[in-house]
Amino acid sequence: MKEKEMLAVGIDVGSASIKLAIIRDQGSEIELLYGRSERIRRREAEEVAEGMFASALEEVGLSKDDLAYIATTGEGEVVQFRTGHFYGMTTHARGARFLDSETDACIDIGALHARAILMDNRAKVLGYRMTSQCASGSGQFLENISRYLGVTMAEIGSLSLEADEPEQCSSICAVLAETDVINMVSRGISTANILKGIHLSMAGRYSKLLNSAGAKKVALVTGGLAADVGLMAALREVAGAGKNPLEIRSHEHSALAGAIGAGIWGAFRARKVEKLGATLAGAGAGK
Amino acid sequence: MSTTLEATKDTSPLAKLISDCEELIRDTSLSTVQAWKERTGGIAIGFMPTYIPRELLHAQGVLPVGIMGAGDIEIIRGDAYYQSYICHIPRSTIELGLNGSLDCLDGMVFPAICDVIRNLSGMWKMMFPTKLVHYLDVPQDFHAEMGGEFYRHDLEALSAKLVEAGAKPLTSEALAESIRLYNENGRRVRALYDLRRREPWRVPTAELYVILRAGLILPVEEHSIMLDRFLELVQAEDDRTPMDQARVILTGSFCEQPPLGLIKTLERAGCYIVDDDFVQVSRWFKHDISEEGDPLGALVDAFLTDAFASPTRYIDEDEKGRELVERVQSSGAEGVLFCAPSFCDPALLDQPMETAAVTRAGIPWTAFKFSEDTGQFQVIREQAGTFADSIKLWS
Repeated sequence: MKEKEMLAVGIDVGSASIKLAIIRDQGSEIELLYGRSERIRRREAEEVAEGMFASALEEVGLSKDDLAYIATTGEGEVVQFRTGHFYGMTTHARGARFLDSETDACIDIGALHARAILMDNRAKVLGYRMTSQCASGSGQFLENISRYLGVTMAEIGSLSLEADEPEQCSSICAVLAETDVINMVSRGISTANILKGIHLSMAGRYSKLLNSAGAKKVALVTGGLAADVGLMAALREVAGAGKNPLEIRSHEHSALAGAIGAGIWGAFRARKVEKLGATLAGAGAGK
Repeated sequence: MSTTLEATKDTSPLAKLISDCEELIRDTSLSTVQAWKERTGGIAIGFMPTYIPRELLHAQGVLPVGIMGAGDIEIIRGDAYYQSYICHIPRSTIELGLNGSLDCLDGMVFPAICDVIRNLSGMWKMMFPTKLVHYLDVPQDFHAEMGGEFYRHDLEALSAKLVEAGAKPLTSEALAESIRLYNENGRRVRALYDLRRREPWRVPTAELYVILRAGLILPVEEHSIMLDRFLELVQAEDDRTPMDQARVILTGSFCEQPPLGLIKTLERAGCYIVDDDFVQVSRWFKHDISEEGDPLGALVDAFLTDAFASPTRYIDEDEKGRELVERVQSSGAEGVLFCAPSFCDPALLDQPMETAAVTRAGIPWTAFKFSEDTGQFQVIREQAGTFADSIKLWS
């Protein structure tokens, strides 16, 4: 049954880029109207978010008054024009469930950390595991390695797929891993084999995170690294082996999962508060 | 835009006021107190958190100075006095005493908070034999003829010690006037708490907290003016607009205080703190102390009959946690953050009874611990953020 339409914007402020999604929620039907990701580079995150927000509304033909909720996630506390903020785990779980309704877990691989999240069929978070403060399981690490090897991030995936004899490196420490890579280069290991080795090393960490979070069947990779076909292949290889094989999936909008989840929860929250007869300004006070 | 304390580059009067208060709190050498002593010739007495009758000290010309630990200063000697399973505030207080930061104080009053603070008062006597040291042994019997008599006797003993330390003798007229001044101050504090309950986006807790902390150092007359100014400024802040945040009560931080960064983290993580137990001395009583009749009797009576439920007060036939549940309901809070210092016996011994009470009432809660020198808030941020999400989405 169609309910009143709720339009909401989700803004996911990451450490390297900002993702924005516009969601139309009609109760049982939820639609992604718009999605975009933009690198922050050396600008103020709030300025980038403001610019993206204005151009998104213009492109879709909406005004701010049409929106029931502006939801932020990630480091979205910098966005002062938000209605509310949702924590990253909550939004990635919802975004993953929207992108793939069969998934019972997701792994958000961002620039600085990775986080495996287990959820139920309402996208309620049941448990999570995340990498510690070490950077070796992150997108930033992969970006550094690509710079050392003189390849672009876009080339990493396809090069990794060409590997025939991957060379594993340290999965514990980014500094050791980078030293490993320098040694490999001096030993004449091919770029493809180095990259595949790094992908396998990262995949090993992610697989352990997913297992310890309790993932059982299907896990969707969210965050920007889902577009790295080499990493995805390595993760499928590692997670598919062993006693409890896990199916790893990605989606063309995986990078937007946080923003999508934030937008969906924003619309959900707006509807919930409306039903309570309260206002979004400290909804509990009206109960 | 000055929506949070982060507006450090903001030169607005509100930002300046908050920044001044933060500076006052950070100044562990108490230069403001030293300046007051030089200006007035009076004596200054320190006191540990929870409650002491500041009115009595004020009436004798004494500046009561709240010592709420030392934040994140490096502890060198303080650790030698306490085992590793003791909370942080006694070791940081000893550090302040031994490094000379508290030299301008003419004495210390230690209220009955817990055994650790009781022991600290004994240690203080040995470490600073020439200074006034008083353990304020407040009654845990709240009948006038028993606990009332006991407490009155204790206040008279404290008053006599203050005279020995150089304070004026106590007079009923002076005490009545001091009660009037502290009542005025208390009314202002309660008004700010009421405003925050109604419009928490207008009065961020991180700001309210530093304003209250400033009141532990400044004379009450100056602090009341500061409270008026703060109220006026926050009411004029049109840029502060409401956000969809979970309304929570924070409890457990009545003695050792959390770092300011932790309070800011909780607010940024999506929580509107609509009630708390920070700086309890400024809100120990629910109403004004009576300004009629015998003022010392009024002080005693207020302590017996009008104080907030606190883990440091014995509850006889009442139920632990009942008042917390009532505060949640009356403030429109949607959950409780149990935010206690590590190894705080009173807070952590009460916590199972309080969590049971809020669980029975169907109120969501989460619990975490801190120390006044905690510097990493990421884990607490995750916990508070997901707690706020769960309230907004699933409650």
